[in-house]
Amino acid sequence: MNRILINYISGELIGGSEDVAINADDDLLGSGLVDSLGMMKLVLFIENEFQLKIPPEDMTIENFMTVECISNYLETRIQNNTATVK
Amino acid sequence: MIYNLPQILERSAKLYPEKTAYSFVTGSLSYSELNEKAAQLSAFLLRQGVRKGDRVGIYMNRCLETAIAVYGIMGSGAVYVPLDPAAPAARTRFLLKDCDIRHLISIPGQSRALINLLSEETGLVSVIGLKQEMAVRTFSWEDVFRDRTPFKRPEILGKDLAYIMYTSGSTGAPKGIMHTHNSGLAYAKLSAELYDLNEKDVVGSHAPLHFDISTFAYFSAPLAGASTIIVSDAHIKLPASLSQLMEKEKISVWYSVPLALIQLLQRGVLEKRDLSSLRWVLFGGEVFISKYLLALMKMWPHARFSNVYGPAEVNQCTFYHLENPPSINEEIPIGEIWNNTEARILDANDKEVKKGETGVLAIRSETMMLGYWNNPELTERSLFREKTTEGFESVYFKTGDMVRKNEKGELMFAGRNDRQVKIRGYRVELDEIEALLNAHENIEASAAFTTESDNDGKEITAVALTDNEKKYDSTAIRVYCEDHLPAYAIPTNIYVFEEFPRTSSGKIDRIKLKETITEKRYE
Repeated sequence: MNRILINYISGELIGGSEDVAINADDDLLGSGLVDSLGMMKLVLFIENEFQLKIPPEDMTIENFMTVECISNYLETRIQNNTATVK
Repeated sequence: MIYNLPQILERSAKLYPEKTAYSFVTGSLSYSELNEKAAQLSAFLLRQGVRKGDRVGIYMNRCLETAIAVYGIMGSGAVYVPLDPAAPAARTRFLLKDCDIRHLISIPGQSRALINLLSEETGLVSVIGLKQEMAVRTFSWEDVFRDRTPFKRPEILGKDLAYIMYTSGSTGAPKGIMHTHNSGLAYAKLSAELYDLNEKDVVGSHAPLHFDISTFAYFSAPLAGASTIIVSDAHIKLPASLSQLMEKEKISVWYSVPLALIQLLQRGVLEKRDLSSLRWVLFGGEVFISKYLLALMKMWPHARFSNVYGPAEVNQCTFYHLENPPSINEEIPIGEIWNNTEARILDANDKEVKKGETGVLAIRSETMMLGYWNNPELTERSLFREKTTEGFESVYFKTGDMVRKNEKGELMFAGRNDRQVKIRGYRVELDEIEALLNAHENIEASAAFTTESDNDGKEITAVALTDNEKKYDSTAIRVYCEDHLPAYAIPTNIYVFEEFPRTSSGKIDRIKLKETITEKRYE
């Protein structure tokens, strides 16, 4: 999951050509790596890629600070979804 | 008596030494701590050879160190120049050279951007705020705070230069707006008085330092002894976290561009937050689309809302307090001229217009800039000189904004004077087209501008920002325009976007948007 997110962020959001390597624990929000518009694109990408809807109350710093945070959040969401289906 | 900006901090450090002056996610500074650190930076700069009137750059995103930099630089008698670290390096290099900046104050978080900036000649001699191998000398904040020898502040007069803010003119090179201690302090006093700012207030600072709205949080708030919460870049991007912060910090006075408030309304989960401490919501920099303002005023009935107007050249010059929520299509006045300020509404020949007619707003005030840096011709062109008595004249700044007075005598914003275009001989107000589009329930924002038609003429292009799920397309928008606009004013090209490029201050980036459209057309 980290890989998919890192590929999208480095490829689509920061242009790919930069020699900027993104790590799973890099601060995406404070460092200027991802801007406001990029944040919205990232949310749309995640919603399409993982077939889920992210409600506004979940779009928080805790859930989106780093790639690691996003992965943790998504795993919880996916587990909960499976739990409800069962 | 206070007559320069550093005295604001000295005074509040005496009156409220233990009170929090600025707070950020990483920590906070009391007034006495800030005063001490700022003095250490002033002393350090003087030892580096900085002299009165020298320009010193601030290269930081939102952080606690911005406050130390602003007061440290001004306290040394130098002039602070805030630079946007997100701006292209070439533009920043131009500003550094244009202003002859030799020292830059920064933070470790900007190291990547700094290395990129310094990969070409900049004229810089040192970077202060991070210790790292770079093309110029660097000093850490520890280096700055190590020295505790007392320093003697140079004499700073009200007439001396305090800061220079650059704005990107719609055409041509960036303009450096020069403000003196007098003009900055006059703004701080007038705004603190208008909104009755006091030492109990908690001010939410949303604007980055290079945006002129920031002077409210950096001058007016400390003048009143209020505490300022510097909102982090992360919070700006995530409104649900921002509203949490506003609740936790019990913010009482908020000031930002309308966009930040619209995002709070749309994604801030406001129904779950207790924001009862909010007493003033100030907005400015752009027109607030009334349907959103209406919704927000209903959400926060306990708060008062005020439309702040004024180009960076005069800081602020009018205000309009909304007594009631506006109706959906209602234009919000920019209101009345504030204290110690005079206005003229001028026609194309600099003659005052007749009652109720539209003209360019010209302002004379204590809060007015000294002029544009290194550009006396441009400064002179922006002024209107009125002979009063023999040997005396009143000097006004022509804002370039069109205004008219309504029946109640309130000033109404009628667009930029360069936003009035002629299409096949007809006069068209681009802002009127935008206002019409913005009033539609399926359109979140819009931009209208002229583009070149295939036969070298001019035509109108409009771009609407809509929510993907509402399936509102350009054909539907065309039908809507046909119902409301004369034929010559209907945009030739209509595009629907799901996102708009924004400037770092949150305004719609029309230049970039126009480029995108041009690329789209020739694809």
